[in-house]
Amino acid sequence: MNKILKLSVFLWLPFITQNIFAQSSFPNNGPANPLPNYFALTQVNIQTKPGELLQNASIVVKDGKIESVGVGIIIPKEAKIINASGKYIYASFIDLFSDYGIEPSGLNQNGRTQLYENNKKGAYAWNDAVKSYQEAANVFKVDDKKSKLLLASGFGACLTAVPDGIFRGTAALVLTGQAHEQKMIVKANAATQMSFNKGSSKQPYPGSMMGVIALIRQTYLDASWYTQQKYEYLINFEHLNTYKNLPTIFEAENKLAVLRAAKIAQEFKLSYIIKGNGDEYQRIPEIKSTGMRLIVPLNFPKPYEVGNPLDAIKVNLADLKHWEMAPANAAQISKNNIPFALTTQGCSDAKVFWQNLQKAVLHGLSADQALAALTTTPAAWMNMHKQIGSLEKGMLANFFVCNGPIFEPETHILNHYILGETHVIEPEPSYKLTGNYSFKSLPNTWLSITEKEGKYSGVLRGKDTLKVQISEQEGLFLFSFTKNKESKSPVQVNAWIHEIDSQTQQIKALHGKMWISQEESEPFVLLFDSVQTQKSKKESKPQPNIGKVIYPFCEYGNEQLPQAENLVFKGATVWTNEADSILTETDVAVSKGKIVAIGKNVNLPNARVIDAKGKFLTNGIIDEHSHIAIYRGLNECTQNNTSEVRIGDVVNCDDINIYRQLSGGVVACQQLHGSCNPIGGQSSIIKLRWGKAPEDMKIANAAGFIKFALGENVKQSNWGTETGRFPQTRMGVEQVYYDAFIRARAYEAAQKENPKLTRKDLEMETMLEILNKKRFISCHSYVQSEINMLMHVADSMGFVVNTFTHILEGYKVADKMKKHGASASTFADWWAYKFEVIDAIPQNAGILNQMGVVTAINSDDAEMGRRLNQEAAKIIKYAGISEMDAWKMVTLNPAKMLHIDQQTGSIKVGKDADLVLWSDNPLSIDAKALYTLVDGTIYFDREQDKEWRNALQKERSRLIQKMLEAKQNGEKTELKISELDPDYHCEDFE
Amino acid sequence: MKYLIIIKSCVVSLLLSGICAAQTTIISGATIHVGNGQVIENGVLVIEKDRLLEVGTSLKNLYKNAKVLDASGKHIYPGLIAMNNIMGLNEIDAVRATKDYQEQGEFNPNVRSQIAFHTDSKILPTAIYNGVLYTQAVPQGGVISGSSSLLKTKAWNWEDATVVKDDGIHLNWPQVSPNNPKHEEILREAILEIETFFANAQQYQQQNKPIFNARFAAMKDLLNGKGNLYIHAQEAQSIVRAVGFFKQHYPAIKLVLVGASDAYLLIDFLKTNQIPVVLSNIHRLPMRNAEAIDQPYVTPYQLVRAGIKVAISLEGSWESRNLAYIAGTASAYGLSREEALQSITLVPAQLMGIDKEIGSLEVNKKASILIAEGDLLNMKTSKLWKAFIAGEEIDLNNEQVKLAEKYLNKYLKK
Repeated sequence: MNKILKLSVFLWLPFITQNIFAQSSFPNNGPANPLPNYFALTQVNIQTKPGELLQNASIVVKDGKIESVGVGIIIPKEAKIINASGKYIYASFIDLFSDYGIEPSGLNQNGRTQLYENNKKGAYAWNDAVKSYQEAANVFKVDDKKSKLLLASGFGACLTAVPDGIFRGTAALVLTGQAHEQKMIVKANAATQMSFNKGSSKQPYPGSMMGVIALIRQTYLDASWYTQQKYEYLINFEHLNTYKNLPTIFEAENKLAVLRAAKIAQEFKLSYIIKGNGDEYQRIPEIKSTGMRLIVPLNFPKPYEVGNPLDAIKVNLADLKHWEMAPANAAQISKNNIPFALTTQGCSDAKVFWQNLQKAVLHGLSADQALAALTTTPAAWMNMHKQIGSLEKGMLANFFVCNGPIFEPETHILNHYILGETHVIEPEPSYKLTGNYSFKSLPNTWLSITEKEGKYSGVLRGKDTLKVQISEQEGLFLFSFTKNKESKSPVQVNAWIHEIDSQTQQIKALHGKMWISQEESEPFVLLFDSVQTQKSKKESKPQPNIGKVIYPFCEYGNEQLPQAENLVFKGATVWTNEADSILTETDVAVSKGKIVAIGKNVNLPNARVIDAKGKFLTNGIIDEHSHIAIYRGLNECTQNNTSEVRIGDVVNCDDINIYRQLSGGVVACQQLHGSCNPIGGQSSIIKLRWGKAPEDMKIANAAGFIKFALGENVKQSNWGTETGRFPQTRMGVEQVYYDAFIRARAYEAAQKENPKLTRKDLEMETMLEILNKKRFISCHSYVQSEINMLMHVADSMGFVVNTFTHILEGYKVADKMKKHGASASTFADWWAYKFEVIDAIPQNAGILNQMGVVTAINSDDAEMGRRLNQEAAKIIKYAGISEMDAWKMVTLNPAKMLHIDQQTGSIKVGKDADLVLWSDNPLSIDAKALYTLVDGTIYFDREQDKEWRNALQKERSRLIQKMLEAKQNGEKTELKISELDPDYHCEDFE
Repeated sequence: MKYLIIIKSCVVSLLLSGICAAQTTIISGATIHVGNGQVIENGVLVIEKDRLLEVGTSLKNLYKNAKVLDASGKHIYPGLIAMNNIMGLNEIDAVRATKDYQEQGEFNPNVRSQIAFHTDSKILPTAIYNGVLYTQAVPQGGVISGSSSLLKTKAWNWEDATVVKDDGIHLNWPQVSPNNPKHEEILREAILEIETFFANAQQYQQQNKPIFNARFAAMKDLLNGKGNLYIHAQEAQSIVRAVGFFKQHYPAIKLVLVGASDAYLLIDFLKTNQIPVVLSNIHRLPMRNAEAIDQPYVTPYQLVRAGIKVAISLEGSWESRNLAYIAGTASAYGLSREEALQSITLVPAQLMGIDKEIGSLEVNKKASILIAEGDLLNMKTSKLWKAFIAGEEIDLNNEQVKLAEKYLNKYLKK
């Protein structure tokens, strides 16, 4: 039955569409006033689609559609003929990322609020950033002002959406003409749109990028559960499910956000069309491998104000390089066969868009590829390629007319047709004045008239060559020049059109009066002789030379990623962290990322030998508590339990602090969630593989970790008046844990009982992982009461608290921690920064160590992170521990805590070659990391660093010089202060 | 042990005669780091009352009943001077009631840190533990934060602690984020306010019978070239503007630049204008991505080599116990150990005009000395054996040591 119904609808479809087009549901006030809309443009060059340019062709339009198009086609008698000889016709462009015709909604909410529930009236889901109920077609209004701008830049159709929320509802495909809305909307629910921005929702959640990603994932799960359940009616999920098969446009703010969006799509087996921000060239291989399609803006930066060197230092290399490379982005995407469309988004006006489009072509984007990205590609993605995007019989008559080929610098749009209705962009003059003219009364004298940007000027060639000024007013002309080269007395001529060619509008004769002085005048006749032989302007500009992409795209990035080498360190003092402890004058060989030999006279074929005599070789430093390389917030502060958020979703491989840590001998770190809430987010454990993409920095198969926190931060003690979230006391903190764990057990039972109907809850899933010993806690903690409390909770729920981090009163409970089996990761000497650290003492780590607790020194700070060797040395001073014990506190012990000690943390054959060669005893103030290796790959080399500094300054001055030249050539500049990578500590909200 | 016996005998002799010959202490066998660049191996040093009587390789005089300390293998340093600091003005960062370093309002040259200095602060003993014997208590905030004083970290009260009263006035040169579209305008207004304030203060001094204005009255010494004007500025533009302004309009004022992260970009400028610099914390990240990764560590070396006077400080309170290590890092990155030491001893004393009294181990100066087990600027060897402030030995024990002992004892009993 269903099948038959579908079939019959399908059969009727052509008939219905034909009739609807001519009909209207609107009544007339007075006699109907239909106007004939039947015309042909003839003798034109028509680009029917990318790669197909018909010369001297015609196009016939009837009732808004193309009746026929081609060379030598018969023009029906009824059609009005418009001679457009020599002009060029292109299918209207399509912009898939637009808010055309949509009134701006509420401002983005960034402040912290206490609004934990959605206060929007109606049957809406819990979070107001899920605005899937928005339908652009319902609020779309033709906007005459913007319509003009769009038509002038060639755009005849837009996929427009309400730019508010994470789920933004459906986008409408609309035409940009100035007719009534009901005609302009060609596909009401053409696609859905999403973003990483919460928009106008006043709820605090999600307050971070990782929170946004968690909300998206949970929303997909909820929408799927929604179809199975019968408890709730929710408008948001009704809409999500209705439109789930539409293409989805996803707005991403940079190249790494493109990868993040793609990761979500892959998890839920979706395909997004991702709107990037023009920096995709910086991560082409990774973006290509996602298989996602892209929408790319042409938002090229202006040259920056770099005239004053003290201003110039504020611009980062990434920004300098991006200025140069952004115009080549589209070409790079195209060359790598990543499917893409172009958008006007980010261009302030039509002129900028066109200039930038031409720039993109100059930088290697072929004209056909550019055209496809503006026409056929977006049309096909919207499944509208039978109606828009190219010029074929039966398609909508949406096209524009240019005075020349589209990507020539002098070309501009004259006229834009939408549904066959003309919109004049640039009125054409009713005559053509340019050309060479002869004087009837003066033999061998010629006047050549040229035009530039709408202004005429002339050159008189006779005995002398004289410049002629020409002004023009509605067909009346005034020429002025001097009598001869030496003279300054002016000759002025009033002239008017005497004869004109009706086909070409070329003026054939000008008549007038020539005033030699006020008293003396004589008649004046100019006769058209010939058109100007145009100097072939096509001195095709060469493709500009630009710098290279570096990985990561910032200071100290590499053109080529460093590779694992065969290396032998000769004659070092080796601190092994194993039973043999200290080996003097020992060789260590490294191959394929692993330590392959330790001993005297070690030889490795094809190995590079590094003289390590007098130097110290150790395992690299591992930082248990780090917040480097995290994008857009390390705290999801907005609920007391945010176990669903994952730092792993927001790793920022471009953070220069990665390189700075390497320079301090750090090879790996745990990127922890902040300490805003009792149950924070999941950590990410990375090795500092500088230059690699986020996913490639993570340690494969590392155990899962999560941040918990206790005390002043989670009870909002130092938040001023903005408090209100549960808990506000240490009493409440305990209850958050019991509540979460007991509910997680109940969730597990429900899942077992009824796997299909149980809503998959990402928060509960994480809590279960902890209970089932698949995820481990690193808990921010200070005072003994709360430390004991959490151990009691864990004991009663049957698991062990893996690590107490900070743990500044650990020395008071070292015996209990030892018994429970917890590790301690602490600061060397921090204290007095808040009330709960008043009993913090620098002997803490030593006492814990002495009591047999596995103890580490961590940083929680990007600067201290690169001096952890010094921090470990302090424990020798304060607590009198041995050098080896101190050294393990920043290497092997944190490796144990992070469950990666099987692969790293000591120097042993078979382990990862995560090594540092130090200039001195590593615990000495004089120690400098000479080489830092991760997986046998040298990521930091102090000698090379010096070379890189010089290369960096060279590259900067090359780019600054180029910018200064651009400014001299008249380009407008902008002031630029580069944003610095955030220096996060666990108490930062953001 | 020997030392203890001598003390005992001293107490006895004091009771008997009323004169204690052990007012003289001889410390021998150690490497003496004088603080002026000089190092004396196996040196000997004599303390009498609060002064240094001898410093050298051998004794010039004979001392009867002198207390003798054998410091063989140890290292002796001048007591460290922590500049640009809020120790004693601030106890717990997050607890408002314990903060006494920032007054209401923008122009407060009349507020004085000296009288707010809390000599029983729990933080001070932890700084002494690491050799910080003097601290410049500096008000913060506003445009003119107030007047600082140099104080001893060990004293009964602030009167007793004071070494230099009101050594200078602190000015925070305005800095507006250039991302603010009106930043030039805001900056101009802020600078105009400073110009106006100084002009008014100047005019006030010229009145015969001025109506009392506490703010302007407090500017008198400064305008007459007494005491320092500490200009707190980080960025190159701010530094150039600030120094340029005062050099042009108030050449009599003695300028000291504080903070000065960008100083390395302005070496010629600072040298020409002979501006001393107090670097605030060099254990920090570079200001910008394109800076060398170790720029903050190298800056002291670059400035000192160019002949600029450099003191090194650690802004904050409890952090100051790491003062020696900050200097240590400066030494690891170019300065000699002795130059690094100077930047936290003699140079600060010179800047505050008290170098005839403290800052180095020279004859007739105050006997404020540290005896360390090893290299003071290197964490692992920097443990102090003894410390004296103006001849008086200081108990190095503190609450933290006691807490550690308390819990260790608990565990050991088990």
